Amino acid sequence: MPSSPIVKISNLDKYFGRLHVLKNVSLEVPERQVVCLIGRSGSGKSTLLRCINFLEEPSRGSIEVDGVHVDAEGKGKQQRQLIHDVRLKTGMVFQEFNLFPHMSVLDNVIEGPVTVKGMDRRQAIELAEQNLDSVGMFFKKDEYPMRLSGGQKQRVAIARALTMEPRVMLFDEPTSALDPELIGEVLNVMKKVALEGMTMIVVTHEMGFAREVADRVVVMADGELIEDATPENLFKDPKDARTKALIDRYRSGEG
Amino acid sequence: MASITNEGQAPTSQAELLYQAQLRKERVFRTHVGVSWGVLFLILIFLFSGQDIKIGDFTIVQTINIDTEFMLKNITFIAGGLGQTLLISVLSILFAIMMALLAALGRLSKFPPIYALSTFYVSLIRGTPLYLQIFFFFLALPQLGIVLSGIVSGVLALGLNYGAYMSETFRAGLSSVGKGQREAAMALGMTPGQTMRRIVLPQALRFAIPPMGNDFISMTKDSALVSATGFVHELMWRATKVGRSQFNSLEALIMAAVFYWTLTLILTYFQGKLEARLSKGDR
Repeated sequence: MPSSPIVKISNLDKYFGRLHVLKNVSLEVPERQVVCLIGRSGSGKSTLLRCINFLEEPSRGSIEVDGVHVDAEGKGKQQRQLIHDVRLKTGMVFQEFNLFPHMSVLDNVIEGPVTVKGMDRRQAIELAEQNLDSVGMFFKKDEYPMRLSGGQKQRVAIARALTMEPRVMLFDEPTSALDPELIGEVLNVMKKVALEGMTMIVVTHEMGFAREVADRVVVMADGELIEDATPENLFKDPKDARTKALIDRYRSGEG
Repeated sequence: MASITNEGQAPTSQAELLYQAQLRKERVFRTHVGVSWGVLFLILIFLFSGQDIKIGDFTIVQTINIDTEFMLKNITFIAGGLGQTLLISVLSILFAIMMALLAALGRLSKFPPIYALSTFYVSLIRGTPLYLQIFFFFLALPQLGIVLSGIVSGVLALGLNYGAYMSETFRAGLSSVGKGQREAAMALGMTPGQTMRRIVLPQALRFAIPPMGNDFISMTKDSALVSATGFVHELMWRATKVGRSQFNSLEALIMAAVFYWTLTLILTYFQGKLEARLSKGDR
């Protein structure tokens, strides 16, 4: 495996009330690697992803992204600054797109760089237009999100995250809210981002994507990592019965 | 993504015919409503036209006779109050919006004293009559050595009162903005302040603008209560003043009513335009 990890999750625990949803989870992701997180719903995969940029606050353990180390139990102003630093290093794409409905596509994409980084507007527009072009959405740059299809919205959301120039991209079930015929265009864009060398952590049900694009597939069940393998090995020879069940279900769905 | 358009050819499909029929029906309904409004309006005018319809010596219909000479003589004096009425309404609504926003944000606060302050304010204001509040500022405060002019006490009372009610609208607006919006902003690295200013408030305000327009229209009429203090020379005050002194309250109040009504019709028209434009918006 290449170089030192750019994302390092150490001994992470997360409770929702009395519910123990992440149980001492550790995971290292080297730079430029594409990791798919799979598992049944409720297995904790989305929670784990959302802990990386602190949309969920982990209860114990630590997160490190590109050298910024954040302890779950840290507090106060310093902690907020560290979380901010981590968020600047991570881009996130949501299941429900979460584009800002009161802004045009272009304004959505430059909002982060201009407001958060204080980037010059012209420079931000230039960067945004490049990224919109690369996800194939430049032609809709003056439209409002309402007028876009789900697939188009998600591609804009990817451009929005990329324009912050993150070191790591986090995808939280990016195709789960899409009509089946729109899934392909989003996966193609994600594949392109992966080929450009972005480090990616993708929570997904798209086994085809995991198989084709991922360097590594991590399986979660009941808040634990139960398997961690290359896609070939995982699909050929799953070790855990729960992984086997997951893969079988996918195969039968495939027909 | 190419869409097929066949401009120029008007298809006379079944659906198109049904649609046309429905449009016609709606048009007819609107026309009838308009005509009926006209009739009701004429009846109202007739009632105040001072007719005395007789057959022989018997009066069969007698309508109210109003003193048009008095009206002509005093119309400019009463109309002179429109400016004050609008001034009070505009100042009060601006103050109310500020209070409503603070109260709504306070209601979302996790800090107990702020949350308590917000709910306390709303409860106190909603639990007492507006009329009492206006008098409180104008009559009760001087007892404590605080003397406010009529217009200031009016604006304070109306603003505080409307602010308490409007805070509910604002709160609904704020909670209409989904959690995903905040998360997307946070993931971009926005601070809570930036998230509020750039993402949440613009969407919440868009949601709250139509009800705010309605509140403003109500405000123009509730501003009449301020006349009770006797020191703000707005529409209502002027109408009661000339009406009482010359024993022509009927005429004076009719004139004031016409002014209020016209004002409301004009504002409602613009409110409708605004609402139509916002609903075309982007959600």
